[in-house]
Amino acid sequence: MQSSMVNLSNELARFVEEFQTDVVAVHARTHYPSSGVLWRPGIIVTADHTVRQEEDIQVTLSSGETVNATLAGRDSGTDIALLKVESGTSSIARAGEGQSPKVGELALVLGRSPDSGPNASLGIVSAVSGPWRTWRGGRLDQYIRLDATLFPNSSGGAVVDCRGRLLGIATSGLSRIAGLVIPASSVNQVVGALLAKGHVPRGYLGIGVQPVAIPEALRTRLALSNQSGVMVVSAEPGGPADQGGVLLGDIVVSLGPATLEGIEDIQSFSDSAVIGKPVTAKIIRAGALQEVTIMVGERQGR
Amino acid sequence: MSLEGFGQIAEQLRRSTVQVTGGRHGQGSGIIVKSNGVIVTNAHVVSDARLSVQLWDGSTFPATLSARNARRDLAVLKISTINLTPATLANSDNLRVGELVIAVGNPLGFIGAVTSGIVHAIGRRPGLGPTKWIQAEVQLAPGNSGGPLADARGNVVGVNSMAVQGLGLAVPSNAVTRLLMGDLQDAPLGVTVRPVAVRAEGSQRLGLAILEVAKGSAAEYASLKVGDILLGIEGRPLNSLDDFEQALEGGGERLLRLQFARYDLSKLRNVTVRLGASRVTVV
Repeated sequence: MQSSMVNLSNELARFVEEFQTDVVAVHARTHYPSSGVLWRPGIIVTADHTVRQEEDIQVTLSSGETVNATLAGRDSGTDIALLKVESGTSSIARAGEGQSPKVGELALVLGRSPDSGPNASLGIVSAVSGPWRTWRGGRLDQYIRLDATLFPNSSGGAVVDCRGRLLGIATSGLSRIAGLVIPASSVNQVVGALLAKGHVPRGYLGIGVQPVAIPEALRTRLALSNQSGVMVVSAEPGGPADQGGVLLGDIVVSLGPATLEGIEDIQSFSDSAVIGKPVTAKIIRAGALQEVTIMVGERQGR
Repeated sequence: MSLEGFGQIAEQLRRSTVQVTGGRHGQGSGIIVKSNGVIVTNAHVVSDARLSVQLWDGSTFPATLSARNARRDLAVLKISTINLTPATLANSDNLRVGELVIAVGNPLGFIGAVTSGIVHAIGRRPGLGPTKWIQAEVQLAPGNSGGPLADARGNVVGVNSMAVQGLGLAVPSNAVTRLLMGDLQDAPLGVTVRPVAVRAEGSQRLGLAILEVAKGSAAEYASLKVGDILLGIEGRPLNSLDDFEQALEGGGERLLRLQFARYDLSKLRNVTVRLGASRVTVV
């Protein structure tokens, strides 16, 4: 008798067999290795927080062979690190980009241990929602939470849904309460940026800000929808905002189409594709609304 | 859609799962493998104390220990009865990572408690030596020891042995099969060894220095002495301690040719040991 449980069991084992050839063990920290996924030929994606050394990194491939890898770029904001290896071809380029998993669907986390080979953890997708900002400051296309157990070597492994689609990369580094998925679409964007520049470019305004409440009387008088804005408390001399004429004490209420009410809003603005483009900032100066134009720069370093 | 889950399989497995009492660690579980009263459990569940086995229907029998392998943490018990419902042992070499598994046992005094999950990994575990474990994502409690881990068909793929970092570790069922065939008996050679690096014929190789020779053992009959260094089995050099242990396991009564060195490392000596025939019978 071929029961539904036997079918499910066979299906799960088949997904493991199918994907495990592209899942590697990553040796980039002491004690426990982590996992990684051959995302493109010669390119391995892993969880950035598991990469604790920039040199002498090795990966164990599905063949059992351990080879040297170089760190090709990393972005702590999205918890993605990129490793390059000489050998190792990828067949995985079947990421389920643009397809959203449903809450309650089964998901497998696939990792690799140098001791026992491929490993798998089963759970369900416990929450899905839209774009969000990680506590490390990066932006991911989707918030996907798993209830599968993430073991010390699971981070960086592949997350596969019940249709055999690659949802993304598993990480225990972005939430204290659960394992999350770095969505495949975000991985693709970050991989592209890291391969081009070695880091993910972020916009730069050259100001330090402090959120402040806007008094009711002022809001009414200026016909503003903002409950609050951000006050400029420092401006880098010669920086983009300084050159645009922003002064200390100005309260910025919007940047281009984006309303600014807090720090998160200005962070969200700075990682969209705004580098090198002019943006109109609405500011309150001396009780009156003004507009200044800022040419957005690129933040230096990572 | 209807998903009956493991209901039917669990019910069947519970009838083949027993409670073993009398070991050092109190209570554990066991698996009926033959209808005439042959039961497999963990070696760590049974000690030399008086053993008793309780079946799923509550009937209790005294049990005798008929085989034991501490390295693989397995023991075989015998009770005097017939018409038991034995579990079917699967070929654990065919088990794949990701397969659904179910564990039955008597944790914390609950008879026939069931937990399930998937096979997380199959293989070595850091810190637990070279032996192969089925590492399953199932919740195990102390009384699960010795109980069955079964696949989605209800066939036993392993003997639950311990819980490590949230994973249930089980001894593969093929080790049980070999133990039942009379293989896998403990210490048939009767030596304690320690790996040493030996430089012979210009190259470095693994040797096993004999630290102890048990009285009345096969090694003693073959005149192996403390200080001898084992270098090969059946003419093949040793690559690991595991090679040595594997060569000793299995086969029942048989002859095994060992290569060793005594004092002079450049001179390879041969000795033939008779395994499986050295146990002393007390009348």
